[in-house]
Amino acid sequence: MAVPDRDLAEFRSTVGDWCRANVPKDWRRAQAGAPEEQFVAFQKAWFQELRQVGWAVPHWPAEWGGGMSVAEQIVLYQELAANDAPRLVLAFVAIHHAASTLLVAGTDEQRRCHLPAILDGELWVQGFSEPDAGSDLASLRTTGRREGDVFVVNGQKLWSSGAAHADWCLLLVRTDPGAPKREGISYFLMDMRTPGIDVRPIRNANGESHFCEMFLDDVVIPVSGLVGPEHGGWRVAQETLSAERGMTMLELSERLGRAGFTWLLEACRVRGPSGDRLLDDPVVADRLAAFEIEVAGLRSLCRRVVERHEAGASAPAEASIAKLLYSELLQRVMDFATEVVGLEAHTQLTKPLSSGWESGAWMLDYIGSYEWTIPGGTSEIQRTIIGERGLGLPREPAAR
Amino acid sequence: MNIELSDEAEEYGRQARRALGSAGGDRLAQQAEADPHARGALVDPVFEALGAWELDPRAGSEELEAGAALCRSAGWWALAYPVAERLCRPRDLDVDGLVVIGPGPPAAPVGGLRMAWAAVSLDGWRAVCAASPLRGPVRKSGYVVGLEVGSFERGGQGDVALGLVLPCWTLLGMLDRAMSLTRAHIAAREQFGQPLAAFQGVQFQLTDAEVERLGFEALATHALWSIEAGRADAVDDALALRLAAIEAADTVFRVCHQLHGAIGFCDETTLSWVSRASVPLRRLPLNLAGTGAALTRRLGRRGLSGLFGPNDEPSPTLPALRPERR
Ligand SMILES: Cc1cc2nc3c(=O)[nH]c(=O)nc-3n(C[C@H](O)[C@H](O)[C@H](O)COP(=O)(O)OP(=O)(O)OC[C@H]3O[C@@H](n4cnc5c(N)ncnc54)[C@H](O)[C@@H]3O)c2cc1C
Repeated sequence: MAVPDRDLAEFRSTVGDWCRANVPKDWRRAQAGAPEEQFVAFQKAWFQELRQVGWAVPHWPAEWGGGMSVAEQIVLYQELAANDAPRLVLAFVAIHHAASTLLVAGTDEQRRCHLPAILDGELWVQGFSEPDAGSDLASLRTTGRREGDVFVVNGQKLWSSGAAHADWCLLLVRTDPGAPKREGISYFLMDMRTPGIDVRPIRNANGESHFCEMFLDDVVIPVSGLVGPEHGGWRVAQETLSAERGMTMLELSERLGRAGFTWLLEACRVRGPSGDRLLDDPVVADRLAAFEIEVAGLRSLCRRVVERHEAGASAPAEASIAKLLYSELLQRVMDFATEVVGLEAHTQLTKPLSSGWESGAWMLDYIGSYEWTIPGGTSEIQRTIIGERGLGLPREPAAR
Repeated sequence: MNIELSDEAEEYGRQARRALGSAGGDRLAQQAEADPHARGALVDPVFEALGAWELDPRAGSEELEAGAALCRSAGWWALAYPVAERLCRPRDLDVDGLVVIGPGPPAAPVGGLRMAWAAVSLDGWRAVCAASPLRGPVRKSGYVVGLEVGSFERGGQGDVALGLVLPCWTLLGMLDRAMSLTRAHIAAREQFGQPLAAFQGVQFQLTDAEVERLGFEALATHALWSIEAGRADAVDDALALRLAAIEAADTVFRVCHQLHGAIGFCDETTLSWVSRASVPLRRLPLNLAGTGAALTRRLGRRGLSGLFGPNDEPSPTLPALRPERR
């Protein structure tokens, strides 16, 4: 579905104009250190603004409110980033993980029930990890006992980002304790209002608490909440995880290129007290040039991953390569930013909520960037996938 | 020439670590964060008992090495207290400690203590200064505050190397701790039916980090010896140490966080505290690029003389940098 360059240029200026008219001018100041409720309200309102112009879920199929070509999506993400539009951080799991799960493996009824609701602001959380099931997700222990038309679920989930605000949860549960690890897991859609769910926030190194613990005590989920076959949830989960790795990278890589890296360049252009610009230092210029090359490479890789995915021609480890490259590059760019921006990087103490991984509060961004090589499969797990599925190397002997 | 710490210094360091452990250990950093202005009072009695502020690292190798060992122990506990900076106190000024400042706006992690400071620039200009009040939560600022600096005077040439080297010893203690915590974590945590430590991919990362830590440790003792010996290139050695320290810290903390997984970002783990505490030491007074540039400017094409190098004799163009005693 090639879009003529002329149309893309027109679309770019449409998005640009819209952003200049609609991105709240002072959102960064207002969101820095904002109370939780204010953040949630702001995110929901911003989501609806984007939705009205048809840009909240550009990657969804047309029938559900999306339908943009990859080229158009890239232009959209670039312009949103270049105009410093807030990111849809709160709806992230809803528009990516939940939607792709429903689209790939959900029933018609589930899709009809949830996709429009997501557009109306329904929020989702991913309840996969547990205290003893991190990288080895398949060893999860939360149990689901079938009783007629319902499952009764007990257990504990950990690191569930945004659980405190979620309406629904993507939940992995062991429903057949006797089966081999990967064959006894079922995938559920869980209504977060169900009795027996206790959500507790966890404070992380940045002082924010997007992480939560979820305790599930005799939580009743109807059989209609199953996604895919009973005990067949592992395969569904793999599809969701690969969506997390692949599709989300398109937006994130454009943010890094058009926002984070661009701000870093701007910071290096500012004249210091002695009239010097960091950019005039050949060491700094050299590092910036090297990063520019890597960022450009990342952006084209992400584009290829998504295009091939849409064409149903994904290479087995492509999404893992994109995730690995992005997350490690992000760390290095943030590290460098903290380096060159110096004391100022230390004195900026509040990171605006609603911003990306790179917010311009470099010190906090740097600490935060350490997190990205962990979720959605750690760098080691990505390397294992690239080795085994991409390069066809033997499986790691003990990792079963 | 001896580039190991003396047994006495090592023993003093062990005592300090035990004493700080008994006084609260990891809880000290947490208590300081909860009440930043009480951070001095929290540890004063321990340092009193250790005779810490009677140590004069400028008085000779014994006290210098003891000071280094003390800093390392403070780093182990991620102590929210500028131990190295206090030990560097110039005896000829009426101040409580000394910090080295870089070319940027003067700043140091000395907020929330009612103390007078001296600041010394890399080329040995010295000034008395006052710390600005703490701004915002210390878990984010790391106690870093701006310094209001008075007028600069010559006379700090003997302060620079010491002022650069001792904080590196604090950082070394933090790396010791991060490695030890991570080693314990990967031995205990199981995934895929075996301890993480059994995966070679995990082992190799930790070994790479250990190689970095050991290289840093070797340079730390070398730079200390260089000060003790009153060598002309003590400042060069100090900058070389700082460069290695920052690089090692980057690798060690990146690996340690990665191997801890998500839990490493939570305050339930000590790693989260130690890595946060390390940040100001890694960024100030000079970051990696700044340290590299400063070292290059000083060395030109000469190179470091090292232990047995051709430049082992004091360079004729530079004044001897033996700490001044007045
Ligand atoms: C910011 C963030 C957001 C998250 N959000 C969510 C969420 O919304 N929902 C959710 O369910 N989970 C979430 N998680 C959890 C995430 O999925 C897990 O942290 C991740 O799967 C790793 O598990 P772990 O933290 O237990 O680390 P572990 O699995 O204990 O791993 C520790 C270290 O050992 C390494 N390791 C493990 N196995 C191997 C191996 N076989 N070979 C080599 N190395 C290995 C790992 O790579 C890692 O470096 C989030 C995590 C983070 C950091």
